[in-house]
Amino acid sequence: MRSTKKSVVVAGLAIAGLALGACGGGTGAGTAPGGTAGATGEEAKTIKLVAAEYSKDHTKAFWDAFAKTYNEKTGYTLEVQVVSWDNIDQQSSTMIQNNQAPDILNLNAYASYAKDGLLYDSDAVLPAVAKDDILDTFVKYGTYQGKFYGFPDLSSARAFFYNKTIFKQAGITAPPKTWAELEADAQKITALGGGKVGYALPLGPEEAQGEFSMWMFNNGGDWKTDGNWVINSDKNVQTLDFLKKLADEKVTQNNPARTNRADAFDLFKSGAAGMVVGFSPLAADLDKDKKVDYGVAPFPTMDGSESKTLGVTDYLMAFKKPGNEKAVKAFYNLYYTPDQVNTFIKAEGFLPVTESGVKYFSNEKALTVYLNTLPNAKLTPTDDPAWDKVKLAVQQNLGGAMNGSPKATLDGLQRTAESVG
Amino acid sequence: MSDSTTVTPDPAPAAGSGDHPSRMPSRTRRRRRAGRIGQVHPLVALLWLAPALALILGVVLYPAIKLFDASRGEYSITGLRKGDAGWDNYVNVLQHPDLGTVLRNTVVWVVAVVAITIVLSLALAQFLVKSFPGRRFVRWAVIIPWAASLVITSQLFVLLYDYNYGIINHVLLSLHVIGTPIDFLGDDSWTMFSMVVVGVFVSLPFTIFVFIAGLGAIPDDVMEAATVDGASPWQRYWNITLPLMRPALMIATVLNVIYVFNSFPIIYTLNDRNPGYAHDTTITFMYKLAFKSQEHDVGMSAAAGIFNVLLILVVVGIYLKIINWREETSR
Repeated sequence: MRSTKKSVVVAGLAIAGLALGACGGGTGAGTAPGGTAGATGEEAKTIKLVAAEYSKDHTKAFWDAFAKTYNEKTGYTLEVQVVSWDNIDQQSSTMIQNNQAPDILNLNAYASYAKDGLLYDSDAVLPAVAKDDILDTFVKYGTYQGKFYGFPDLSSARAFFYNKTIFKQAGITAPPKTWAELEADAQKITALGGGKVGYALPLGPEEAQGEFSMWMFNNGGDWKTDGNWVINSDKNVQTLDFLKKLADEKVTQNNPARTNRADAFDLFKSGAAGMVVGFSPLAADLDKDKKVDYGVAPFPTMDGSESKTLGVTDYLMAFKKPGNEKAVKAFYNLYYTPDQVNTFIKAEGFLPVTESGVKYFSNEKALTVYLNTLPNAKLTPTDDPAWDKVKLAVQQNLGGAMNGSPKATLDGLQRTAESVG
Repeated sequence: MSDSTTVTPDPAPAAGSGDHPSRMPSRTRRRRRAGRIGQVHPLVALLWLAPALALILGVVLYPAIKLFDASRGEYSITGLRKGDAGWDNYVNVLQHPDLGTVLRNTVVWVVAVVAITIVLSLALAQFLVKSFPGRRFVRWAVIIPWAASLVITSQLFVLLYDYNYGIINHVLLSLHVIGTPIDFLGDDSWTMFSMVVVGVFVSLPFTIFVFIAGLGAIPDDVMEAATVDGASPWQRYWNITLPLMRPALMIATVLNVIYVFNSFPIIYTLNDRNPGYAHDTTITFMYKLAFKSQEHDVGMSAAAGIFNVLLILVVVGIYLKIINWREETSR
């Protein structure tokens, strides 16, 4: 009896200790110098790329082929590590804590890294030809304090997707141009019954900022104007009020505050939702399934004025490490050749980031609707390091407005934004 | 991190108590050889202890020191250490507006899952020790939720619970139990319940097998004697089976408390659609502090990690104290 108890205590302590240890593995900080390039100032012959996984089929295949070409053309070696989007933030953070940052990191944010002084700017590692080729919009949003750090790898632009079959059933002849029309259409679709959802509205934590940006921009609102946060502007409160109205009228899916984007896409793919904000990868999925007869249109605006779209781009940022400059420059030199960058973008089903890319894709009929909007797309304020935290606050709090007060929610986000940046 | 903090229960620690008798003879032999009682040369002892010590130092102590070090650092959102934070991270955790909710959730989660698991397992173990055709098959079937990865099980339940396509809602609707689907994971009044069900589901196998072992250890003659003395089945269960199951109950409770407390994948997966911390326990709270929340602060998360360890040690300590106390007073 006694020994049993003792061993239980020991087991308990051991397991608690192991749990502690395991946590340490994930979050423990390192101070030891290290890293693949070495700290001696010698030229690095091998550099490491940590890339985000856009798709199981294409991402790894592309980067492996790229590494081979890179090695043949430049003599440098590229180590490729592909990480899923769920993990990449955590992994990159751990690498940096342990002083083992990769040479090149593919992520959806860069400004905080630039602020921490971890990155090379374009003068150091981006060939001039490549810089000139990158679309002005992306150069603008990739620039932090006058220097260009956020080199885009690919982009996407949102558009309005509607289910033609459902529209026909509900007697709707054309996609809505204004929010009032959208609301009326959503009501008609919901009235069809049978679990039909008028508008699939994802305000869950996965990407609440994306959905809200789309609505915000099409009501003439923005996150920042002239360098100041304006999250709780009258326009934005009006926008969120309208979304709450849609939810209250039950013309959206159940519980929009707790619906992630992937779930909203699933509703549209299964033919249950009449309208959703989508982008080219959704179109690719729909084309593959051949289940839903859908149309793509510009997103309706509040008052019927010209539609704006949300552009999103991810980045390939270069970490300052002793001796890796030349190899990193050679990497960008190769990546931004039309052959490479456009092959990658085409395989993943996204949109180009370069002027030559826009030309390259111009004969793709399916992409025309996005390509036309791309040069004028609005991005979220990715050039402000504060946005990296504001974005998280939006993801965690925006949905709260559906059961509370939109004004109070936006006031709270405004306070957060002002306090972090 | 998620995987290692939530390893499915391993029966090895429970079996550890059985090691003592087998170790005894060798110890006596060595004693005789050394001439003095209970002594070997310290260097020899150290040699034998070296692998275990190395393991403890490398796997437990070193990361623990690192964790403590991280909890005292000031970190940028990128993970870059900017300097020392003193005790600020600890203060920030304690002042976090949602800490109360998180602690309450943790208590509800641990108590509900462990209590329901123990009660159900007692019943199911009783059933599984009886011999019946197909018992072996049923016992194997019970192991399955244990063998499956927690992430997979959780993801499976996400599908079962789904508002639009979930089979649970489908069945309830077809049986006219409910008129509209239940939002098991998105409705605040259902979320914790739905998670507890999954928690119990994955904790059952280990607990049942501990209890089967416990039941098997009860000598038949005691039972026979009680039957001969005319004890009713209920009296036999209450006065003989349960008291003799005490070690098994204790092991099951302590280990389950620790596993359930540290459970990450279930809560993280089933709760990922819900913003904020309304249904988080201290473990997912710690993760969100580091990577998902607006704080996005490794230092603060490490401080929360230290609190987690202290919390579970205190809870287990108190539990063992209570058990001791009961034992002493019952004599």
